[in-house]
Amino acid sequence: MDKDLDSRFERLEKALSGMIDTLAKNNPSEKVAEELVTAEADLFEALKLLEQHQKNLERIQQLRHETALYDAKIKEIATSLWNMRKELKAVPTTAEPPSGKKNQFTTAELLAYARRISRNTLPLPGVTNGVDMSAAGPSNQSTEPEDSFRLQSQPTQTQTPNTSFNLSFTGIAVGTPGGTSSAPTPNTATDTQQTTQLPPSQPPKTTAEDKLPQHLKPAINPLQNAAFHPWPTEAQIRSGALASIQRLVDAGIDPKGYDPEEEERRRKAEEQARREAEERARQEREAAERRMREERERMARERELARQRELEAAGGLDRRDSVAVGREKPKQFTFLGADDDDDDEDEDD
Amino acid sequence: MESGPMSVDSAALDPPALPADGANEPKYGGHSRFELELEFVQSLANPQYLNYLASRKFLSNPAFVAYLDYLQYWTRPPYLKYLTFPTATLKMLELLQQEKFRQDIISPDLAHAMMLEWMKTAVEWHREG
Repeated sequence: MDKDLDSRFERLEKALSGMIDTLAKNNPSEKVAEELVTAEADLFEALKLLEQHQKNLERIQQLRHETALYDAKIKEIATSLWNMRKELKAVPTTAEPPSGKKNQFTTAELLAYARRISRNTLPLPGVTNGVDMSAAGPSNQSTEPEDSFRLQSQPTQTQTPNTSFNLSFTGIAVGTPGGTSSAPTPNTATDTQQTTQLPPSQPPKTTAEDKLPQHLKPAINPLQNAAFHPWPTEAQIRSGALASIQRLVDAGIDPKGYDPEEEERRRKAEEQARREAEERARQEREAAERRMREERERMARERELARQRELEAAGGLDRRDSVAVGREKPKQFTFLGADDDDDDEDEDD
Repeated sequence: MESGPMSVDSAALDPPALPADGANEPKYGGHSRFELELEFVQSLANPQYLNYLASRKFLSNPAFVAYLDYLQYWTRPPYLKYLTFPTATLKMLELLQQEKFRQDIISPDLAHAMMLEWMKTAVEWHREG
């Protein structure tokens, strides 16, 4: 570019100097003048080209700058992506498996749990009905027998469920008047609703209670002494495992590794083993006695045989008689009779 | 555990093994740690018992407070489902993490008020239902 521009510039200079020469010599030449004009036009063209060139260069530089900028941005995004990926990969390995596993439950499990906790979360409907009824005055809609029942048995009926409920609730009756007065008062407003909400089993129950004598009424009231506790009672705590450990500690036994059931089992096993050993010893003793008895009998028999043989060897006169005596011992004592028989036989012979 | 000596440096423990996979757990008086802690955390639901513990200065013992913090594993699965008194137990465990409640429960009036409040809630729930 520079060379091209230089040559054109040179050409213009040359044309200009030629023009000046011709003018100085006072001999202007049209040809030289034209050459000067074309050279000038040429130079202008070259200058325009140069301008364009410069602009392009500037544009190129700008673009280069931009690409560098974008490159940096891309690089940054790529690194942040990589970092994020790394983080993501690091996170689920610890968080995902437990959360997926530990909260799984089936409907059956849920229902079983609901059934198990239901008696500890809210009292049975009847228990609170008793409390509500305590504040209720005679209702407008009540029929004749129910009304009379109310009038007649209000003292007991109102007292029993209410006090039992309160007592069970507060454990030791500490300032119950506050509770009895504060709890029932709002019920008077909704009294009629309350009576309509009572279960349909209410009328037969009232008639049955109506006929019964006063002292038997609590016996057929299923709500008598109904207790509700949303927490373990003192009695339950006192009869629990912790209390039993406390008893062990009080007895000077280290509860660690000590299992009363295990101890009981071991004691029973020892007892059993002892009893079995006794049984075995007894059986052995009996067997030995039996053996001894048999031995003695055998010796007696042998002695008997030996005696008979002796008798046979010594006697020999009346063999038949002696054999008969040896065989049939009782006849030995009925000597005369036997002898008579023998004599008879002899006579027959 | 009710009145046993407690030292501040008792080691922090992981929650006990579940009954299903804790066959070889060491036993204390015939009971596993799981059983004992389940019983204890539910006993804490009884306001009277808390009042008793407060009166015996347990609730101001740093070791006991740390133990109460440790017992919070009962608020999460898989232990949560073993609570049979969930409502009161969870609420009391939450309250017991507060210093103010630990101080206030020493008053029998508060314990009694809590009981009455619970009874009132039960009665009103049935009326609404």
